[in-house]
Amino acid sequence: MISGLVVASAIYALEAHELVYGAVGLAISLIGVAGLFVLLGADYLAIFQVAVYVGAVVVLIMFTIMLVRRERGEPLEVEEPIRLGRAGIYVAVMVALAVAAAMVLIVPVSVEAPEFYRPPIRELASSLSASHAVALVVLGFLIVATVVGGLTLAKVEREERSGGAA
Amino acid sequence: MTGLLALPTLHDILGFVLRIITSRTFLEVIIFPGFLNVMLGAAFLTWFERKVIARVQLRIGPLYAGMSGILQPIADGVKLMFKEMIFPELADMKLLMACALGLMLVAAAPVIVIPFGEGWVIANMDAGLIFVFAVISLFPSLILLIGWGSNSKYSFLGALRSLFQQVAYEIPMWLSVLGIVMLTGTLNLTEIVLAQQRVWFIVPQILGFAVFFTAVLAELERIPFDLPEAETELVMGWMTELSGVAFMLGFLAMYTKLYLMSALITALFLGGWSGPSILPQPVWFLIKTFLVAAVIVIIRGTFPRVRVDILLRAGWSKLLLIALANVFVTVIIIWLGFGSMWGI
Repeated sequence: MISGLVVASAIYALEAHELVYGAVGLAISLIGVAGLFVLLGADYLAIFQVAVYVGAVVVLIMFTIMLVRRERGEPLEVEEPIRLGRAGIYVAVMVALAVAAAMVLIVPVSVEAPEFYRPPIRELASSLSASHAVALVVLGFLIVATVVGGLTLAKVEREERSGGAA
Repeated sequence: MTGLLALPTLHDILGFVLRIITSRTFLEVIIFPGFLNVMLGAAFLTWFERKVIARVQLRIGPLYAGMSGILQPIADGVKLMFKEMIFPELADMKLLMACALGLMLVAAAPVIVIPFGEGWVIANMDAGLIFVFAVISLFPSLILLIGWGSNSKYSFLGALRSLFQQVAYEIPMWLSVLGIVMLTGTLNLTEIVLAQQRVWFIVPQILGFAVFFTAVLAELERIPFDLPEAETELVMGWMTELSGVAFMLGFLAMYTKLYLMSALITALFLGGWSGPSILPQPVWFLIKTFLVAAVIVIIRGTFPRVRVDILLRAGWSKLLLIALANVFVTVIIIWLGFGSMWGI
């Protein structure tokens, strides 16, 4: 049911005429993904998914959409998707449903729920800092490099713009 | 003919319902510390704030609705529910109402993990602390949508200011509790409260408390970080175009946030429910929560507003440094061996 919500809001996010509604659809889809994480036993990951994606990334996307200048009162132009593209989506969904139905009905019924492992957070933390410490440090440096690069690019752009205007 | 269908008798249905109503989970979720607690707390805080602010400003506050104006929140709520909802013509009514409702839901969500007493918690999450922070980080997107959907330059500007402010103070908020997590080794709020049985965390974590308190004031958009509201400048900032029920939801959401953040501060720094056993534990928790709320309200009546660039700069640089200093102090405390007081 949750995965249905994820797929449905993702499709809505792509098809919405009003871009802001698309961003809202994206937020709902990502919250659904967090729900899926919880169902799979990764609650720590789900919390960070909500905090980072919905809290920051979606805000950034909405911010960008809202600050693009446009004609007064007119929604941002969204190209009408070609008939073939839309039909393609529907066909793909139908095929997926058919395959799922076939798997459920044809494959023998003795399926037991796979036991999933819910790592307690302590174990997560100790394994991250002990065996994966190198990966953590490398990731940190990568993020620092990204931030510094972004700041440099912004600074260069500002100089170019003010140099041109002068 | 096969046997009669076993329809549940009235006796069965009544038994079922009674068992649900008197079950502990129902009691916790609906009454305390859940729905009723949040609603009453937020409504009580509106009265509380108006009275305290009034005394600070040498006046009296609500007086006529009930004894000493205690029924004023109910009067306000009824009035707002009967008001006509006026929206600008080009404003997005569905979006505004949906986001106002979402605001109230998101504001009330942290109550799930806050322990109001030993065992008085709805969901004892192992990652309860960061659950609260993740929920708080949902506010900027809702506020942005409300400001945008109002189709008004001033509301949108207010929403942008609020977004910048809240995002800027999220990081000091996350970092300031790092010291507590280091001292207790857990993110579970119940265990954090239990670890404070001897010394409250406000003592070793005084820097962290200062940073957290300031960041909470900024997240709640209270004075001195009032710029998104700026009653003399932007009318009501991003809430300007809400009216009637939508305004009631937004307004209550702000006070729900205040109540739950005060509860969080109590749980994190002031020892939660600990106190001499003449009073039951939840009562101690509520007393401390309302003390924190009283301090926040008195600050509202006392301080002038902070300018927006100073506000943002303070959040990004100065508070961040103080939070990091707090982490260093905590490391020193643990190294000196005092960590055993809190269970390291």
